Amino acid sequence: MGRVGTVAFWHMYTMGVGGTVALCGHDVVFVWQTSVVSMVYTQSEILQKEVYLFEHIDSPNRESMKHLKAICFLRPTKENVQYLIKELRRPKYSVYFLYFSNVISKSDVKSLAEADEQEVVAEVQEFYGDYVAVNPHVFSLNIVGCYQGRNWDPAHLARTTQGLTALLLSLKKCPMIRYQLSSDMAKRLAEGVKQVITKEYELFDFRRTEVPPLLLILDRSDDAITPLLNQWTYQAMVHELLGINNNRIDLTRVPGISRDLKEVVLSAENDEFYANNMYLNFGEIGTNIKNLMEDFQRKKPKEQQKLESIADMKAFVENYPQFKKMSGTVSKHVTVVGELSRLVSERHLMEVSEMEQELASQNDHSSALQNVKRVLQNQRLSELDATRLVMLYALHYDRHSSNGLQGLLSDLRNRGVSERYRRLVSAVVEFGGKRVRSSDLFSASDAVSITKQFFKGLKGVENVYTQHQPFLLDTLDQLIKGKLKDNMYPYLGPSSLRDRPQDIVVFIVGGATFEEALTVYNLNRTTPGVRIVLGGTTIHNTKSFLEEVQAAGFQSRPSESSQGAMRSSVRR
Amino acid sequence: MAAPFDEQGEVREGFLCPLCLKDLQSFYQLQAHYEEEHSEERDVRGQLKSLVKIAKKAKDKLLKREGTDRAEGASQERYEAFSYGGVDPCLWDPQELGAARSHLSEFKRHRAARIDHYVVEVNKLIIRLEKLTSFDRTSMDSARIRATEKLVVSWVSDHDVPFCPDCGNKFSIRNRRHHCRLCGSIMCKTCTQLVTLSLANKLTSGSKQSLTAHGSPSLSPSGSAHASRRGSISSLGSVSSVLEDKDDDRIRCCQHCKDTLLKRETQMDEKDHTPDIVRLYQRLRGCMEKVEKAAPVYIQMAQSINAGETTYNLEHANNVRIEVQKHYELIDALSKKILSLGMNEEPKPAPRALQLQKMVRYSATLFVQEKLLGLMSLPTKEKYEELKEKRRQENERRMQRERQAALDAHRRLGDDRRREVNALPSGALSGDLSPSRGIRKVEGWLPVSGAPRSREMSDPLLQQIENISSYIQQARAAGRVDEVQMLEENLRQLQEEYDQQQVEAAIRMSRQLAEDEEMQREQLEVLRRREEKRGQLRGFAKHSRTHSLDFRDSAQAATIWQDDQTSALDLPLPKAEHSPPLRSPSPIKPPHGADTETSPNHNYLCVSPVLPQAKLGRGSPLNPFEEDEPALPLPGFPRQQNGQTGYNPFDGVEVKPEAEVESSKGLEVAPPDPSENSKPGYWEPGAPRNPFEEEEQVGLGNPFEEDEEETIEEDLLLQQIDNIKAYIFDAKHSGRLDEVEVLSENLRQLKATLAKQQNM
Repeated sequence: MGRVGTVAFWHMYTMGVGGTVALCGHDVVFVWQTSVVSMVYTQSEILQKEVYLFEHIDSPNRESMKHLKAICFLRPTKENVQYLIKELRRPKYSVYFLYFSNVISKSDVKSLAEADEQEVVAEVQEFYGDYVAVNPHVFSLNIVGCYQGRNWDPAHLARTTQGLTALLLSLKKCPMIRYQLSSDMAKRLAEGVKQVITKEYELFDFRRTEVPPLLLILDRSDDAITPLLNQWTYQAMVHELLGINNNRIDLTRVPGISRDLKEVVLSAENDEFYANNMYLNFGEIGTNIKNLMEDFQRKKPKEQQKLESIADMKAFVENYPQFKKMSGTVSKHVTVVGELSRLVSERHLMEVSEMEQELASQNDHSSALQNVKRVLQNQRLSELDATRLVMLYALHYDRHSSNGLQGLLSDLRNRGVSERYRRLVSAVVEFGGKRVRSSDLFSASDAVSITKQFFKGLKGVENVYTQHQPFLLDTLDQLIKGKLKDNMYPYLGPSSLRDRPQDIVVFIVGGATFEEALTVYNLNRTTPGVRIVLGGTTIHNTKSFLEEVQAAGFQSRPSESSQGAMRSSVRR
Repeated sequence: MAAPFDEQGEVREGFLCPLCLKDLQSFYQLQAHYEEEHSEERDVRGQLKSLVKIAKKAKDKLLKREGTDRAEGASQERYEAFSYGGVDPCLWDPQELGAARSHLSEFKRHRAARIDHYVVEVNKLIIRLEKLTSFDRTSMDSARIRATEKLVVSWVSDHDVPFCPDCGNKFSIRNRRHHCRLCGSIMCKTCTQLVTLSLANKLTSGSKQSLTAHGSPSLSPSGSAHASRRGSISSLGSVSSVLEDKDDDRIRCCQHCKDTLLKRETQMDEKDHTPDIVRLYQRLRGCMEKVEKAAPVYIQMAQSINAGETTYNLEHANNVRIEVQKHYELIDALSKKILSLGMNEEPKPAPRALQLQKMVRYSATLFVQEKLLGLMSLPTKEKYEELKEKRRQENERRMQRERQAALDAHRRLGDDRRREVNALPSGALSGDLSPSRGIRKVEGWLPVSGAPRSREMSDPLLQQIENISSYIQQARAAGRVDEVQMLEENLRQLQEEYDQQQVEAAIRMSRQLAEDEEMQREQLEVLRRREEKRGQLRGFAKHSRTHSLDFRDSAQAATIWQDDQTSALDLPLPKAEHSPPLRSPSPIKPPHGADTETSPNHNYLCVSPVLPQAKLGRGSPLNPFEEDEPALPLPGFPRQQNGQTGYNPFDGVEVKPEAEVESSKGLEVAPPDPSENSKPGYWEPGAPRNPFEEEEQVGLGNPFEEDEEETIEEDLLLQQIDNIKAYIFDAKHSGRLDEVEVLSENLRQLKATLAKQQNM
């Protein structure tokens, strides 16, 4: 199975279109709508392809530049088609290459054709890439707020269906579909995807593989724990503490930041250090960055010493590009890691994380309650971290007979945690509490933890910060072994898979996390023959997850009743 | 931290399966159950174990308990060794082209229908326009003009249109109806558009004539239309004329027709007009293409010349270099010109156009930086001679060494054989090994166990043998008899294998040598003593041939020797004495066979010829120093060189690069070692000082100072100025005046920068 990404679009652009640009001025304007390209390529790489300008198709005052050509890569929405029609009526560039990231309707093609009176359009193609490739095995649709209670926001459902089908098309997979039975949203999405596949059966007519690929659709509400945890691997940590947005990190809030480091790009495609370290934990990153620096300094001072004769200088100049590239990498990662470590000590994240891990993966209620109470006494804890501890406690023990949630909530109030956050505690429980979960989140990890303890007895060491394994690991593990229960994750349609699946696309409604991305990465590495691609409506960190929950609009706690009754009341 | 075992809830004891929690009665049952039920769960235990291991490591890291045993080099390799753009190559196929679907044919079909319609419409208007302008307007009165105009297109009758279709105003005496001369429709005065005759001419007769006829094509057509209209109103002045408005030099038409005509006009304009930027850009791309072609050729040349090879001519290479550099200058100059396009004109170019120019310039700069700075320099003439000489000597040395090695091998083989012959009759038992030989062995062995051994042990078989014999010693020390036996068995097999290989190789080599020798001699003899010594020669040749071809003999000897070995190994006591011969390959280490030659030890004599050969084989064909060392005139890559010295033990001493010394010096001199800073309190939460901040300062402050750039730049500037002067001269000579212009502009700028710098 290929990687996810839109790199291929560029290959095609350079092969197919690039050849024909020979006649008049090679320059190309990229009329751009999403951020896909900037994620995949750096500026210099784009320049090498003779793309000099980027324009938004909806920006009103674009000048006419008839000596340029335009490549348009657009999602075929109504608005974009309207913009294009307007553009083609009065073309600003000499030639247009139109690429749509998803299926465009025949009537839209017709109205575009009728607008093109000056015959400026040279290409009209659907090129499926209606998603954002985050890692080679992870994609996102950048949608936050898909929940309306326990139902889809209709617009987001349509968008998600499109994004997911575009992914399948770009991977050239026509999968069998399984979904999480307990989630109505997962089912709706599965049906939506199936509908598209049936409608566009010609498009999905790919070469059959021996074992058909599988699409598994899950719901975030089944595991609300994972997005609430602090992370310690590089990529996940950066996202949790600084926020990665389309591979970019905003560092403006870092004290004393230099001007050119206010926004940095972390892309595995062209940053070796990042590529090799994104899945390592923070301690290892520290060591590696130290080595990177030493390596750099070893080369650098020597050059400085030796810059005496012309020959020396020439030699330096000949090696200069390397230094320049290296210095960029060094300063970037040193800054990022430095900021991370500042936040870790400022927010006491070691302590918080240890507590989180205990709450997430151990089953001792009284000690958990005690410890949370103790940690909450620490006045230097941030509002968010205090709240998230209470949330984790609530998610785990909300059905426990002697649950101390009310006490913890009042502790929060005493700390002066804002009303918004305190409300969110109950909202999160409403979102992913024990009543909602179809599977036993904690006892499942119990098996693992018991095994761990088993070996702990042997080895005597365990990393307290990475005890937690996302529930997804368990699900995928069973799926790969062919043991995932049909009554909990039924197939859509009559046929089912007899062999163990090989190509798997997992999609999490309500967003995936980088911890899960890491899990899938490790699974891909350790299980030969199996390729898993993970996707979500977005990639969450705690903040964005809480926004998602808040947008879902769980306000008041419904009366205690059976699970089914509660569901229906929410659905109403 | 919660104690791990004080779980409240349910506590289960006994032999629980870690995976399914089933309680099994005994350990053996558990084991059986595990293997039966969970065996398919591919090595879960292993995974868990490794997980625990990872976790342990991670914790060590997290808690800053980092062991010092962690090799620095290893982690360094980690971020340098594998990089495939963040993609693990074994995990992901290269991204194939996703599915795509073209709508172009459908699009074209729809468009064609539409275009036909559009083209017909435009052509209709143009034809009417032609008719309207074909008569002389100025000399006719308005009534006649109107009549003629009515002939072209039938006018819509006044009664049918009570309101202006464009603005919706009611027509009245004051708001009169006007007809479009092109389509016959009606509009009010304010909605009327006018087509000037110049525009009409241009549209009807092709752009060229209209340009010559009307001089000012830059005036936008709509502008000219408006201007003339205003002008006519003011000049006519009288009310009657406004009412009657006679159009002598323009044609009245509706908004729609006017739009269509204007579109047509812009299309016509664009067809012939190429802006400056496009011309410049095309030349820029041309230069870049030439560079792309020429640069690799040059780099190949330079590499070869810097290595002292004589494949290419130095002068020629210099010419190529100048050629390439000239293209770079041109690229630089052209892109600068693009950057400054329209800067001095009024109105200033639009912001987007400026950005475009900037980006073109930027990409050209990137191109030059990347490619030009990668161009290596050429040696001067004298230096080149030196290099050539050095290479020649090196070649000679190498050949000499090869010869020497071969000779040694030959001689040793001879010795060997003699010895075997001697050994045969006396019975090849261990007891026969003379005490003096034993001593010798020890002598030969002792120095070898020192430092150079590990480097020499490049043959995997030898390594294995070495390892196993050391195991045997260890095992024996630990008193594990069964293991010793097993290992000895192993060793024997290995030894056999190895000996076989060596003997074969030796035989092959000696045969070849003998043949060579024979041939040489034969020739010599033939020339010199053709007559007298013929018989003698034949005798010798026969002798050497039999000598070398008789490998059955030596094979036999080898097996005998092995017997001797095995028997020796079976006896516990002499073993210690005899294990040294197992290492016998090592004494050969000194590649000069002088001392080995004298050694009577036939065990290693039959082994020896191959080692030097193998080493030479590795050393000579890709002798990395010949190519790489001069190619990197500066000692910039100490690591690489270390690797090489390890690789090539022969050259290691001579070429021992100063770089290594330099680099270690550099290390010592290197400013505050971040590792030291980051050690204390690295991971202590709430530690007073955050080590990373310090690192950051070091990182940001020191490595990125660009001071040295200034100093370079001045010299480079001077150089550049000289270069450009030369180019200008060259360009003048060959009459490329535009280049001269561009270049001299460049020169001026460079001088200005230089002056500025010097003032600073």
